[in-house]
Amino acid sequence: MADTDHILDIVNTARLIVCAGPGGVGKTTTSAALGLRAALAGRRVIVLTIDPARRLANSLGLDELTNEPQRIDLSERVPDVTTDTGELWAMMLDQKQTLDDLVARYAPDKGALNRSHDNNIYKLLSSTLAGMQEYMALDKLHDLYTGGYYELVVLDTPPTKNALEFLETPGRARQFFDDRVIKWFLPNQQPKGLLGRVMNPAGAVVVGLLSRVFGQAFVDDLIDFFDTLQFLQEALRTRGEMIDFILRDPATRFLVITSADARRIKEAMYFHEKLGSLNQKAGAFILNRVMPNFAVEDLAEVDQGALRAALEVEGVAPEHSAALSQQLERQYAHLAELATHNRTIIARFASQVGPGLLRTVPLFGEDVHDLTQLRRLGHFLTPSAPL
Amino acid sequence: MLDSLDDKRLIFVTGKGGVGKSTTTAALGAALAARGKLVLVVETDTYSAMAEMLGARATGIKPTEAREGVWAVNLTARECLVSTLTRFLPSERVVRAITSNRVAEAFFESAPSVSEFVLLDQIQLYVENAAEQGFDHVLVDLPASGHAVTFLSVPKTLHGMMRGLGPIAKRAAAISAGIEDPRHTAILAVCLPEEMPVNETIDLSNQLRDQLGRSLDLAVVNMVHRAPIDGTWRASFHALRKRLSQGVEPAEILAGDDADALTRMVAGNALALDWYDRDMRYLGLLETRLGADVVEVPMIYEIDDTKLVDKVAHYLESPFDPTDSDALAS
Repeated sequence: MADTDHILDIVNTARLIVCAGPGGVGKTTTSAALGLRAALAGRRVIVLTIDPARRLANSLGLDELTNEPQRIDLSERVPDVTTDTGELWAMMLDQKQTLDDLVARYAPDKGALNRSHDNNIYKLLSSTLAGMQEYMALDKLHDLYTGGYYELVVLDTPPTKNALEFLETPGRARQFFDDRVIKWFLPNQQPKGLLGRVMNPAGAVVVGLLSRVFGQAFVDDLIDFFDTLQFLQEALRTRGEMIDFILRDPATRFLVITSADARRIKEAMYFHEKLGSLNQKAGAFILNRVMPNFAVEDLAEVDQGALRAALEVEGVAPEHSAALSQQLERQYAHLAELATHNRTIIARFASQVGPGLLRTVPLFGEDVHDLTQLRRLGHFLTPSAPL
Repeated sequence: MLDSLDDKRLIFVTGKGGVGKSTTTAALGAALAARGKLVLVVETDTYSAMAEMLGARATGIKPTEAREGVWAVNLTARECLVSTLTRFLPSERVVRAITSNRVAEAFFESAPSVSEFVLLDQIQLYVENAAEQGFDHVLVDLPASGHAVTFLSVPKTLHGMMRGLGPIAKRAAAISAGIEDPRHTAILAVCLPEEMPVNETIDLSNQLRDQLGRSLDLAVVNMVHRAPIDGTWRASFHALRKRLSQGVEPAEILAGDDADALTRMVAGNALALDWYDRDMRYLGLLETRLGADVVEVPMIYEIDDTKLVDKVAHYLESPFDPTDSDALAS
C-alpha cells in the first residue's frame, strides 16, 4: 500500500516512538512488535508499557513485567537471530514505586524522606490521584531517555482521551507546585509576620475558607505536605521542561494506532489533530484488526458439489454435507460483506491521511503468544524489511 | 437481564477505553427507557460521543432531553467545583472570587481527588433530586481513564483524611454510603472477550469487594463472535481445513492470491472459528472467576450510531447465544 516504508524508517531512526490511539486496538502488542523489530535491526530498545499485560510478558518469555527494565534474551528465543548489537528490554510502570523513587532521589535528608511517606496528602497523591499514572510514565520516560543507554524508547500510552491529557501532564504537575500556591500554605517564607500576610491576602483568605469547608486537619495536612515536599518543586520543573522538550524533538515520532472502525478512526484523527500543539504530527497510522481479504467473488467460483465431496471425505455424512456446505457459504458471504464494508472505511481514511501513511494489519486468528508471532506482526508493520 | 436493575436508582458503568463503554451506557439508557423508565445519563468526559449516540446536545450540568425517556448531561469538573463550593461557602461572591482567581483555579484543578469528589457530589445531587424530577435511574458513564475503584473510593478516602470533620467530610460520608449501598446502587463493568479487559474486570470485582465491601452487579461483554459452524461438525471441518491449507495460516492464505476459491472459503471459516474459540475461552474465564451475571452482546457492524445503540439495547434485554450458528441465516 505504501511506497515508502515510513514505519521502518521510524523504527530505524527515532529515539522515542509514542504509540497512541483508542483502547482495544492492540496498542501494547504493536509497541512490543515495533520494539522487537528495532532490536533485530541492531538497536538497543526498551518498551515501556502502562497496562499490566501478562500475556505480553509471557510472550517475551518473562513471568511478568516489572517497574525495572528486564532484558529479553533474543538469541535464545528467536530462531536464526541475526543481530549482535540489538537488545530488547521491557518494563511496566508502577506509579507508586516511581513516585517513591523520585522522592527518594530528591529528598535532602532521611528525615524529609520519612516525613514525605507519612504525609496523608502524599499517600493520596501516590495511589489515587487521577493523572498520576500519566505523570509517572513521563517521569520514567525522562529517565530512560536521558539515561543514555537506550537508543530507542517505545512508549505505550493510555487510550486516546487520556493520551491528550497525557501530553499536558508535566504542566499540570508544575501547577500544583506553583510558587503562588505554595505561598498560600507557607506564608512564613515571605517577609515575616504581618507584612507577609498583608502581601498575600488572597492566600490567607483561601486557606481560611479551605479549613472551614474541608476541616482544619485536612488543611494542616496540606501545609505539612507543601512544607515537606517543597524539595520536589524544582525537580518537577526541570524534569517537566525536559519532557516537554523531548516530546517536541524531531527524533520523537508518534504512531497513531487504531482499528477499521468509524468511531475509533474518529478518535485517532482527533488525537492526530491535537498533536499540532506539540508541533508534531502522526508519523504513520496503523490500522489493526483489519478483516482479511474475504472476496464475494470466491463464492461464485466454489463448486457446491466439490465442497460437499470434500466434506464427505472428512467424514460428514452425505445427508448432512449439504447443510454444512450451506453454513460455510453463508458465513463466508457474511465475512465478505463485512470485508467490503471494512475496505470502504479504510479507503475513506486513506484519502483523509494520504495512503502512504497508512499501514493495515489483518485480524489474526489467535493472540500473540511468543516472539515468533510478535516478529510476524512486526513484518506486517514494516513489510519492506526482511523477516 | 435488566430486572436486577429495577430498584437501582444509581448505576455506574465502568470499563477501559475502547470496550464500547459509552455505547453500552447509551444502550442501557435506551433499554431502561423502553421499560417505561425515565433515565438520566451522566457523562463526565469532555470528549464525548454520547451526543451522536443519543442524539443529544448535552452540555453543562442542566439535563436536557435526548430521546424518549432518556435525558443527558455532560459534566465538567470545573462546573461541578463551582456548584459544590456554592453550596458549602457563605456567599456566591466568595465562590466567584475563588474560582476566578487563577492560582486558586490551578490549585483545584491539579489537587488530588478534587475533580473526582465534585463530580460525585453533583451525581449524588441528581440522585437526591431524582424522585422530585421523575427520574427512575441516574446512569453514570465513568471516565475511561484510571481505575473505577480508585474513583469511587475518593469520598471514603477524603472522609478519612478529614477525620470526619467539617461539612465536606459529612457530605463525603453520605456519597460513600450511597456508592456502597447494593440495594440502590449498581456497578456494571463493560469489557471485551480479550485477555486484558477480562482480567481487569475480574480485578475490578475483587477490588470492589476489598475496598468498598460490595460486589459487581453485572458484566457486559461486547463484540462476541458467533460460531460459524455447528459444533457437531467441528472435527470434520478441521480435517478439511488442515488438508487444504497445507500448513499455511488462514490469514496468509487470504492475504495472498495463489489459493483457489474453495481453499479461501474454508480459510475464512477457519479464521471465524478461531475468533469464536478465542472469545469463548475468555468468556469462560470471566464466567468462572467473576461471581456476577454476564451479558453477551454480539459483534455488530453498524455505522449509524443511533441504530447501533438500538441494536445493543435489544441484546441487553434479551442476550444472544453465541453457539447458535444458524442465527446468521435470520
